[in-house]
Amino acid sequence: MLSFLFKRRGFQGGVHPEDRKQATSHLPIQTLPLPERLYVPVQQHIGAAAQPRVQAGQKVLKGEMIAAGSGPVSAAVHAPTSGTVVAVEPHPAPHPSGLPVQTIVIEVDGEDRWTDEPEPEHALNLEPEVIAQRVAEAGVVGMGGATFPAAIKLNLGSRHTIDTLVINGSECEPYLTCDDRLMRERTQEVIDGVRIMRHALGARHTLIVVEDNKPEALAALQEHLYEMDHLEAMSVPTRYPMGSEKHMIKAVTGREIPAGKLGADIGVIVHNVGTAYAVHRAVRMRRPLVSRIVTVGGGAVQRPANLEVPLGTRVEELLAYCGGTRETPARLLMGGPMMGQIMPHAQVPVVKGTNGLIALTAAEINIDDPMPCIRCGRCVAACPCGLMPLEMASRIRSEDMDGAAAHGLMDCVACGSCSYVCPSHIPLVQYFQHAKGVLGDRREQQRRQEELKKLAQQRRARQEAEAQAKAEAAARKKAEREAAKKKRAQQAEAKETPAPAKTNDKDKAEA
Amino acid sequence: MTHPARLILDDYRRLFRDGIWDNNVVMGQMLALCPLLAVTGTATNGLGMGLATTFVMVAAALLISMFRGIITPEVRIPVFILLIAALVTLVDLVMNAYLYEMHKALGLFIPLIVTNCAILGRAESFASRQPVHRAVMDGLAMGVGFTLILVVLGAVREIPGSGTLFADARLLLGDGFAWMELTLIPDYRGFLLMILPPGAFLALGFILAGKRVLDTRLAARAASMKVAEA
Amino acid sequence: MTTTTPVSGPHTHAPGGVTSQMGWVILALLPATAFGVYLFGWPALNLLLITVLAAIAFEVMSLRIAQRPVTPFLMDGSALLTGLLLALTLPPWAPWWIAVLGAGFAIVVGKHVFGGLGQNLFNPAMLARVALLVSFPLEMTTWVTPQPMFAEGSPGFIEGLAITFGLAAIPDAMTGATVLGETQTGFSRDLGLSETLPGVYDPMQQALGFIPASMGEGSALLLLAGGLLLMVRRIISWEIPVSMLGTLAALATIFMLIDPERFAGPGLHLISGGAMLAAFFIATDPVTSPSTMRGRLIFGVGCGLLIYVIRTWGGYPEGIAFAIILMNGLAPLIDHYLRPRTYGRTRGGKPLEPKAPAQTAPVTEKRP
Repeated sequence: MLSFLFKRRGFQGGVHPEDRKQATSHLPIQTLPLPERLYVPVQQHIGAAAQPRVQAGQKVLKGEMIAAGSGPVSAAVHAPTSGTVVAVEPHPAPHPSGLPVQTIVIEVDGEDRWTDEPEPEHALNLEPEVIAQRVAEAGVVGMGGATFPAAIKLNLGSRHTIDTLVINGSECEPYLTCDDRLMRERTQEVIDGVRIMRHALGARHTLIVVEDNKPEALAALQEHLYEMDHLEAMSVPTRYPMGSEKHMIKAVTGREIPAGKLGADIGVIVHNVGTAYAVHRAVRMRRPLVSRIVTVGGGAVQRPANLEVPLGTRVEELLAYCGGTRETPARLLMGGPMMGQIMPHAQVPVVKGTNGLIALTAAEINIDDPMPCIRCGRCVAACPCGLMPLEMASRIRSEDMDGAAAHGLMDCVACGSCSYVCPSHIPLVQYFQHAKGVLGDRREQQRRQEELKKLAQQRRARQEAEAQAKAEAAARKKAEREAAKKKRAQQAEAKETPAPAKTNDKDKAEA
Repeated sequence: MTHPARLILDDYRRLFRDGIWDNNVVMGQMLALCPLLAVTGTATNGLGMGLATTFVMVAAALLISMFRGIITPEVRIPVFILLIAALVTLVDLVMNAYLYEMHKALGLFIPLIVTNCAILGRAESFASRQPVHRAVMDGLAMGVGFTLILVVLGAVREIPGSGTLFADARLLLGDGFAWMELTLIPDYRGFLLMILPPGAFLALGFILAGKRVLDTRLAARAASMKVAEA
Repeated sequence: MTTTTPVSGPHTHAPGGVTSQMGWVILALLPATAFGVYLFGWPALNLLLITVLAAIAFEVMSLRIAQRPVTPFLMDGSALLTGLLLALTLPPWAPWWIAVLGAGFAIVVGKHVFGGLGQNLFNPAMLARVALLVSFPLEMTTWVTPQPMFAEGSPGFIEGLAITFGLAAIPDAMTGATVLGETQTGFSRDLGLSETLPGVYDPMQQALGFIPASMGEGSALLLLAGGLLLMVRRIISWEIPVSMLGTLAALATIFMLIDPERFAGPGLHLISGGAMLAAFFIATDPVTSPSTMRGRLIFGVGCGLLIYVIRTWGGYPEGIAFAIILMNGLAPLIDHYLRPRTYGRTRGGKPLEPKAPAQTAPVTEKRP
């Protein structure tokens, strides 16, 4: 009640959802047996889709690049195991729409044979650019779910002064324990990845941040970090959305990213612990990203587990391995319950950003019919971005998108804290995403209109120029013809024949 | 071929329909709310105010329409105001002379008829552009519409407010109209809120809502009839 | 296999909802209500039941007219709470029609005219109380001295019905005045507080509630307990009660130090009248109070200030309803101007200046 008297470490707002991690936090990572077929989408990251480099019938080895990144923001895709490519065709993507995306289907041969064994690298002697290059080649993306190609963020050290590297091990979403297990079981690998990333960025301080509901992970890290220079593991209070980049930076450094800027602009870069592990694999072991750890959980799952899964494994295989579901899940999610996405069905593959597969029962989701807003202000108190969700929602309800934008709609990170606490069960995030979509469409339309206008103007200018040129040419031709005539007449008089060839050529070209 | 008189009658009917319902000063245009809210404590006060306003509206419409040819646009507003003010002063003095008790009740608000936006509004938008007979008809229709809403609102407030209807009508209309003064609820102690200004807002709100409901129903019925015909 | 709407997260929700919130508020009010009923006997119980039932009936009627589903909106308990709060602020032996009229005014004019739950600008119960007080000053200020149920000389069930339905007059011997009323009457007769207060004001009795008062505002202690329960349960936030009672107490202290004969002390102001009821249960109504923390603080300060001003210099002995309604009217304005600062922006809404860190020597470690 008197909390206002004390300066809190952390950020304003946020919520404390019941974390429900106990179901899986004690379970060691198991390796999922190879399925018969893998469905590897070429788009598993933010940015341009990778270009397939294999054809049906081609044999591939584990770790072989099967699709190459294209464009500045993209990531390569590698074969998760050895086998035969049977098709390159559209398959449903792990997205609420279930729309198909280009997918490389691999018939697994069961041998799980790697490409040639490379020499482990003396990673800390490499130049930063080379590290970024290796990470890009390995197809590493943000493993916390954002799936932004990691190499781009590792390259920022060349353009910005980065003084702090923050490694996000907060895992603030309920149910998920994959990062927790990773930090506990593969501590050294994670720390090695962190050191490689620090080297690439040239950061002075490095913090591995763990929420205080994971004391074992924190202890494991601290044990290995003993007497390591400028590299510490710190604990932060458990509060959602601690894992959001903006709020993590605020919580551990006290700095705020100015609106419209990036963490790099204030000298801070945030990477996920899973990314650190992937970087270790990519740079030290020279192995691409072909599998990831997935928490299979939720009340509807028979035996929750933490599984290391080859990318491209279908969700149904994971569920089957965990003993299936005890009841039809009310919602099947990829990611955590706060920001995860609903899966249209279980025939979608696990991708690079899949940190969890959560099958929730109706009791767990506790979704009620929305009631009118009673302006209680809980959403305002919960919003970590300092917005007034109720005001934005009331404007969106009356289709006043600009009014919502004036209330800071574009500063919303869609963390869902407001919807989570709303006693009237109003799907606020749904409202905001809708409004952002409408505003985006509107901007796009405006941009197109302006472009059209510009094109029309250019066309008019060109036409005018052409008309003028034609008129000039005609005048010139006439003059030339007359001159030629005169000349001919003179030549005729002089009994000489040929007309100037140049003029004739020009006539032809203009005709 | 319709008879010309018929045409004129149709035109007048339209004007009245406009003034009393569709485009009523209060219910359609939301004008003249200050006198409306101020004097409708009883139906009699409303009636008195309405009649005075009607007179001013008709007379103003007559004069303005008559002189519309010679009033230049640049000076029209001062001229309209002067004409209306003269008429209002006339009403004020006449009431003071012959309806003294009534004048005591309404006195404060009579001079304010000058500022009644409805009068200037009609002068500006109708009377200054129409022939005399139409302007007068419009003034009369608008005045009657205004009087009606004043009386209705007065009654709606007076009945729950003090349990009577047309109390003191005698002061306005003469002793012959004593029969209009009804005491609906004997020994009523009064619901003061309805007499106080908030009561006027409340009652007006409900009346406006009622009109909208009625209009929506009528429109729906008309639409369904059209569908049935087709 | 699964539902795909809505597609956006979160896919889980905090326990509780509007209904449970209203339920907790009603629960927190119950001890004070029960005590009020005990203290003022059968007529008080009749009035309570009539007010609540009338509120529910008007709610059903309004929902029907608005063509909204009746059950979910009735189940949220807001109409019940409005009826209860109104009953608690009425003189306990008021006639039945006061209750019905008040409930109708609260639900129809105070709430549904604005668009129903969540849309009203003013607290419905307070609006109805003000309307009643303005219209029926006599009935609304006829207080009775406590006549505990089943006690010697207090009205029985039948007599209670007779009082509620206006068939029997309230015996003059049983009427009394509230402390605030007594002091105001005293001032009009040029009597100082040292002359008026003895005999009508005993802090202990006042805090416990054995005084002429409305049904629910009597027992300051029970109301305080209920309010604290709501705070602990985080049903209401601390800002409004603390700032409102704090302002009231601070003003009372300052003026008491200036002239103790003319101005009553903070104790009397806090435990008399509806201060406790208003601070914890009425001013904290989420719909009609600001939604930001700073906004609620200002709202509470405004309420406290107005209450003190109206009590001390106004025409009515008690000014809580007026104060709250006035501040309700300001709540949207407060919300408009006191927005929280957005992450990454100044209070004015401009992006923060990016501060690039000073160039520092990076940590280099070169190891095999």
